[in-house]
Amino acid sequence: MSYFQKMKGRTQSPPRVGAVEIAWSWIGSFLGIAAVGLIHFNLLDSTALVMIIGSFGASAVLIYGAVRSPLAQPRNLIGGHVFSAVIGVTAFQLVGGQMWLASALAVSTAIAFMHLTKTLHPPGGATALIAVIGGDAVHQLGYLYVLVPAGLGAVVMLIIALLVNNIPQNRRYPEFW
Amino acid sequence: MSSDHLRECAPVDLSDEDVMAAMKAMMGYIDITPGDFREVYQVAYALAHKRMMTALKAEDVMTTRVHAINADADLIATAELLAQHGISGAPVTDGDGRIIGVVSEKDFLRGMGADHSGSFMQVIAHCLKNKGCVAAPMTGRTAGDIMTAPAITAAPDISIGDVSALLMEKTINRLPIADADGKLAGIVTRSDLVNAFCMLG
Repeated sequence: MSYFQKMKGRTQSPPRVGAVEIAWSWIGSFLGIAAVGLIHFNLLDSTALVMIIGSFGASAVLIYGAVRSPLAQPRNLIGGHVFSAVIGVTAFQLVGGQMWLASALAVSTAIAFMHLTKTLHPPGGATALIAVIGGDAVHQLGYLYVLVPAGLGAVVMLIIALLVNNIPQNRRYPEFW
Repeated sequence: MSSDHLRECAPVDLSDEDVMAAMKAMMGYIDITPGDFREVYQVAYALAHKRMMTALKAEDVMTTRVHAINADADLIATAELLAQHGISGAPVTDGDGRIIGVVSEKDFLRGMGADHSGSFMQVIAHCLKNKGCVAAPMTGRTAGDIMTAPAITAAPDISIGDVSALLMEKTINRLPIADADGKLAGIVTRSDLVNAFCMLG
């Protein structure tokens, strides 16, 4: 296939899901983000800790909206956030003087490492990036960022996913551990 | 060439619409495009097909109660045996039970020197008994005289894919299976293959 031919695409978008599926995606993601948000805003508010980071919004799309996806499985969710957090913090601490470089290194290395460990989880890229560009609140956490918010947040969202995604008859989660 | 031949008759082509309909029926969001699914399916199908073609061996599908004909048998007995069992050919064995040839309708027709089409064994036997029809020159001859030799045979562990290829290539209808000593162990006919492919779905 020639280079420009490839740009035309070759197949079609998968079908739209039914209303029931949409409803359960809404319920799951509402509860998942609610749990993380409650901890962040009501329990940790008085501390320097953060619990909610942008990448959890992306994780919610996968683990509540595309529950069969290999990218949405527990090892990807947990592994993707934890490994990417370590890589992001390390990138900032090593080359934080050059923010563009730290950002690029964090994301690209996170992707490579997730591939290598079969834990590819797209929101992990955001977790790595946030470790670099998240400002003082994030930078002050140092490697604690790996446990809270990245690790703990992923675990909380996983628990909600296990509880909610197995209620409907035609949904199940996970596909594998 | 053999497996290409067989693959041609396999119904492998899924349309995007088929895949879309299946994905819809599964309700949840399937994280794959119909195009990718078809690609996975086609490769996986080809592998499964290959595995199935080699999974069954001749010994799994062959008929073991074979009506073998002794080379010394006269043609009346030969034709009557074929007629009686409703078969159109049989392996010919020597005194030790080794396969030395195959005798079939074709050999009878050839022996009669006539371009008979669709003649039945019963008719042939009748002609032989009544010395006077086209079968007359064959009276007094034996199965060993008219058989096709040497026989095309195969070992019990030949895959059914290879059996199919062999039948097509040699334009024969039955393949005697010989054990290590060259003795008759069974026979695989075209209908045995039809059964085998049916078993494989």
